[in-house]
Amino acid sequence: MAQVILSLSNVSKVFGGLRAVDQVSLQVTNGERRVLIGPNGAGKTSLFHCISGTHHASAGKILYLGRDITHLHEFDRTILGIGRTFQISSVLVDLTVLENIVLAILGIQKNKWQIWRHYLKIKGVESKALAQLGQVGLQGQADVLVKNLSYGERRQLELALALVNNPQLLLLDEPCAGLSPSERKNLFNLIKSLPRSITMLMIEHDMDVALGLADRVTVLHQGRVILEGDSDEVRQNPQVREIYFGQA
Amino acid sequence: MPFLASAYWLSLITQILIFGMLALGVELMLGHAGLFSLCHAAFFSVAAYTVAILQVRYGLPTVIAAPAGIVLGTLLGCIFGLSVRTRGVYFILVTLAMGYIIWGVGYRWASFTGGDSGVTNIPAPEVAGFSAADPMAYYYLVLVVLSLTLFAYRRLIYSPFGLVLRGIKSGEKRMLSLGFNPAAHLYIAFVISALIASLAGVLYAYFNKFVNPVSASLHISVEAVLMGIVGGTGTILGPLIGAGLVLGLRNWVSSFFTLHLAVMGLVFIAVVIWAPGGVMGIFKKWLTDAKER
Repeated sequence: MAQVILSLSNVSKVFGGLRAVDQVSLQVTNGERRVLIGPNGAGKTSLFHCISGTHHASAGKILYLGRDITHLHEFDRTILGIGRTFQISSVLVDLTVLENIVLAILGIQKNKWQIWRHYLKIKGVESKALAQLGQVGLQGQADVLVKNLSYGERRQLELALALVNNPQLLLLDEPCAGLSPSERKNLFNLIKSLPRSITMLMIEHDMDVALGLADRVTVLHQGRVILEGDSDEVRQNPQVREIYFGQA
Repeated sequence: MPFLASAYWLSLITQILIFGMLALGVELMLGHAGLFSLCHAAFFSVAAYTVAILQVRYGLPTVIAAPAGIVLGTLLGCIFGLSVRTRGVYFILVTLAMGYIIWGVGYRWASFTGGDSGVTNIPAPEVAGFSAADPMAYYYLVLVVLSLTLFAYRRLIYSPFGLVLRGIKSGEKRMLSLGFNPAAHLYIAFVISALIASLAGVLYAYFNKFVNPVSASLHISVEAVLMGIVGGTGTILGPLIGAGLVLGLRNWVSSFFTLHLAVMGLVFIAVVIWAPGGVMGIFKKWLTDAKER
């Protein structure tokens, strides 16, 4: 049995009167590719926020590598090796592509407190940054301001920021959303080619994409887990068909 | 420079360098970290008052008074730095209130600060037998201190710490998910900016030879911000250029027009509307245009 990397027990998130996440329990094992699906408003992104620390869970417990991270700051979780992308691209638009990626590298290092040396002179930073930009296909754009990038390029950068520190757990929130079919295919192939050392938890709206990538799928509906299984089980489950297509 | 032979110009330029340094401190918060502070006159004046009171009333030498001014101003920055818990309008209001506290203390605690008339007859700085009593000597002293500060400031801006500040300005929430604790970075930046303002305050005390509550007034804080904006926010030389323009213009206009403050106001409005990048912004645009042609 593979090691459990992420374990949620009865995690809830309440916004005022709305239970966005309702007693969700799930376990993700090392190297697994898990996809979260569910209709709009199912609570997928809210659950992601609880795992990454963007929001704090209202109740329940989140263990990462056996350690309780339920009340940890978002930045501390990042330093522990949890990387994430956002559904709405939130790269730093006033900075250049290179500056964005350098910040992602420095984020988990003590070097972020350096006040004297040039940030590109910190050992290994520049080469690591350029290599990561190469991996996502942005090698020629290092000195371009992010606000001048196309939407698709911003999504590539978004992924690069999450990948550059070799996270142990990667949370991808609809990485392909809003992309053209060809861009979508490229990004999907890139994600598929990532090594198994990165455990992946991904939200995806497109059922074909989701089921093509996932080892296991968790279906959320109205904040609750209604099914967990492999692609075929999910495809054939009448409740899932009901929710997605309005038919039994 | 020959025109420095005139006492008027020498005094004006020394003043520009000192207020340029104050603006540099304010600019670290505004231009790089994106926080609009209205309390930097507090650090400036506490440092200046410390020098004045220690030198005049207690007869302490410059080697004690000047460092004490820098330390006390910076310590006040450590306390007022708690304002970085707020953002946007709230930060402006909190720092505004903090600035008023120090101004109020300077104005009302007359038995200690001298009240409205302040502390007068501050002697020239003297260290190990060398005195900067001559205005020209003092000008060079200020020039050296400012150059060293600018050098260190430049290192800071291009260090990881400086990059982190610009990252926070661009997207604080995103910085959290990249592993940064923005509040800690902003706090340290605030203390550093208070240190620079204190340094300017010490230089101001010896230059002006007296200190009164005007040095702690909102007017000084606002003017420092405006110098940064006129010169160009987010740059290194901007605050100095801004100080030169603001003080130069004020001196020139006030020599023939009593409503000079109104004229200054119009200039600032014009800059914000037509040249939000300030002088450095115009210069950069001109450079890129020239390259494209």
